[in-house]
Amino acid sequence: MESKNNMENVFSKLGDLKQFFVFGQKIVPVIQKIIDFMSDVVPLLENVNNSIQDSTSKIPKASTQINSVTSANEIATSEILDIIDAMFLDLSTIRTGLEELKNEENSEKIKVLNEVVSKIENDSSRITISLQVQDITAQQLASVNHLIDSVQNKLSSLLFELGKQQDRPIPTFDPASVSEQDSDYAFSDGTFNENARYDRSTEKQDLVDTLVLENTKTSQEEIDKLFAK
Amino acid sequence: MTPKKFLVVDDSTTMRRIVANSLKAIGYNDFVEAGDGREALTKLDSDTAINFIITDWNMPEVSGLELVRSIRSNDKYGKLPILMVTTRGLKEDILEALQAKVNNYVVKPFTPQILREKIDQILASI
Repeated sequence: MESKNNMENVFSKLGDLKQFFVFGQKIVPVIQKIIDFMSDVVPLLENVNNSIQDSTSKIPKASTQINSVTSANEIATSEILDIIDAMFLDLSTIRTGLEELKNEENSEKIKVLNEVVSKIENDSSRITISLQVQDITAQQLASVNHLIDSVQNKLSSLLFELGKQQDRPIPTFDPASVSEQDSDYAFSDGTFNENARYDRSTEKQDLVDTLVLENTKTSQEEIDKLFAK
Repeated sequence: MTPKKFLVVDDSTTMRRIVANSLKAIGYNDFVEAGDGREALTKLDSDTAINFIITDWNMPEVSGLELVRSIRSNDKYGKLPILMVTTRGLKEDILEALQAKVNNYVVKPFTPQILREKIDQILASI
């Protein structure tokens, strides 16, 4: 009787084993598909990794180029200001000369020429005002550089994680690759205004004037309260 | 009060020249320059003739706003008139500068006429 029970047990186990093999036969193609998928995906991930590494290594160059643009703009603006200064000196000489030449006969002509000199002086002043765009674009470029720095830091930390797993070198930024002139424009937080705009309308100055006027009427205590909110 | 000597503080050499040229255009010829707040404080310590300050906001080392606060907390030159000339034109920026006790505020780009107007307003109010 005991032997019969044992045999039934063995047959039951064999049945389980058979079911396991039947299930195995069904699951093997699925596992095969997963393996095929992994084989396809791994090279893709490898490509992504290489692209990130490549982009990260190029970012310092982009940053340096932006600094070079700022530097070149400042040099060019300075040269224009030199020319305008020289023009003002020349115009002053012309004005003095015209005054010396002035007599009863040519006074009308001299007046016209003086008006031309004044117009050139005014136009030169307007050019000087427009050159303030250099400072404004410098701040906008610094803001872009700041963003690039943030992206590089994120990518570097991502690569660090990937590199730890694959024992790869992490591309790093070499400060020595930045020229001394360009490094003058390596802006840090707070040295630029990301909202800087070249806007010749009087809207912002009008707002200032209103707030300054209100401020003269408002006590310091009230302003402090406003900031405390 | 008559301004004897201006201190022009801006990290941009272009802007320092433009402010200086504007001052000359409106009849003020005596000024010294500083590239940031730290340098400005050194100049204020050493040059007692300075009696009017024109400063930018965004600068390395010590910003314009920090400079204003340092000046206002100084017994020697704490009451000097300060005009802030900056690209920052948001309401909260202007209020923050006023809270730090700048005397007046100019948003870039500015004209020599605006500069003269603000200097005159400051001089009339002190």
